[in-house]
Amino acid sequence: MQFDRRSSLWHMIAAPIAWSLHFCVVYGWTASVCARGWDAGTARLGIAIATGLAIAFIAAIGWHAWKQWDYLDDFDYEHDGPSVEDRREFLGHAGWLLALVSLIGVLFNASPALFISSCV
Amino acid sequence: MTLPVRAIAALVSLALLGGCDGVQSVLSPGGRDAQVIATLFWWMLGGAVILWLLMNGLLVYVTRIDQRAMSQRTAEALIIGGGIVFPTVVLAGLLAFALSEMPRQRDPGTGLTVRVTGESWWWRVEYLKDGATAAVVSANEIRLPAHQRSEITLNAHRVIHSFWIPALGGKTDMIPGRETRMSLEPTRAGEFRGQCTEFCGESHALMAFGAVVMEPEAFDAWLAKEAEPAAPPEGEAARRGQAIFNAEGCGACHAIRGTAATGRVGPDLTHLGGRVSLAAGILPMTEDALIRWIRDPEAVKPGARMPAYDHLGDGDLAALAAYLEGLT
Repeated sequence: MQFDRRSSLWHMIAAPIAWSLHFCVVYGWTASVCARGWDAGTARLGIAIATGLAIAFIAAIGWHAWKQWDYLDDFDYEHDGPSVEDRREFLGHAGWLLALVSLIGVLFNASPALFISSCV
Repeated sequence: MTLPVRAIAALVSLALLGGCDGVQSVLSPGGRDAQVIATLFWWMLGGAVILWLLMNGLLVYVTRIDQRAMSQRTAEALIIGGGIVFPTVVLAGLLAFALSEMPRQRDPGTGLTVRVTGESWWWRVEYLKDGATAAVVSANEIRLPAHQRSEITLNAHRVIHSFWIPALGGKTDMIPGRETRMSLEPTRAGEFRGQCTEFCGESHALMAFGAVVMEPEAFDAWLAKEAEPAAPPEGEAARRGQAIFNAEGCGACHAIRGTAATGRVGPDLTHLGGRVSLAAGILPMTEDALIRWIRDPEAVKPGARMPAYDHLGDGDLAALAAYLEGLT
């Protein structure tokens, strides 16, 4: 497989970007819904949809990064050599860890909607 | 440590501990919500101390006691277990506990609604019992019955404030043009203190109030009395004080129910003498304090809207204070 350096960099930061977008969308949406006096259920539905989309996207990115890291192939997590393979595996490794922390962040961001059912 | 340093350290820690035991401390709870917050605080403090000891113990161990290289497996287990899994689980647990507690602390009240409006720099307070048609108007003091959750609705006039009785529960902002709400469930009778906790102008720090929790029967008796008009002044000085009150036009801003004074600009004074404090929690309810306040409010509370009555002689001020103190 031809290794595309540019797209790999984007893949590495895609998950944290999804996390930050999810944060903005969820907070903005909830504030808008509550300010308009709409039903809090509407806010929770929107949060559920945004969270589902974010998790699906982050999972896809994480899976892609996991494949790129190729850990199970050689159990190699040191990528400090000046080779294309090390660079590819390093970016995959970093991307996978960032996807993991982004997933936790998205779940934490969304968790208030599980417990709090009203705007006031 | 030298002796003075040790003495200073001891004094500082005494002073800090003193803050935990006051009428305005979440660590000396008098309500269910504050109790939960205090418990959570002690758990988190204990956890933080243990973590601090573990981390520093580990640091000492690997740098001083056993300096051999750690196996890669142990190092990985430490980093992944201690650096990722452990904090994620602990934070998720704390988050879940805090989030499940938040709606409980805002459960609707039963029986009593207290409407509080933040003014500059005092509190307009109105009590509305379930089924009552008219609110009982008071000011600068919150009284609540113990063992039940009371509803508190919050408003603000002109600028933002925030309502907080640390010993009873959390705080809620007061926003002009928007009603916010909270509820409190005191668990023991006692005198506590509340404080404005959102900067609102030059006397923000002097905007406090007494918070008195009473047993339900005592509260009902108090509220019934608070709803009554003011008793006529007793004694020569108090009668003269009332005449001065009327002559000076105090009733343009203050209301004393049962008299000609019906002003709504300043705090209601109908049962002023029955309150635990004067001038929104910053002076004791004594004749001397009343004289000091009326003579020059600005000196006590910078920016206070009430004008100074320093043209009144000592005798007149004393009579006025006697009248007001008698309004129990």
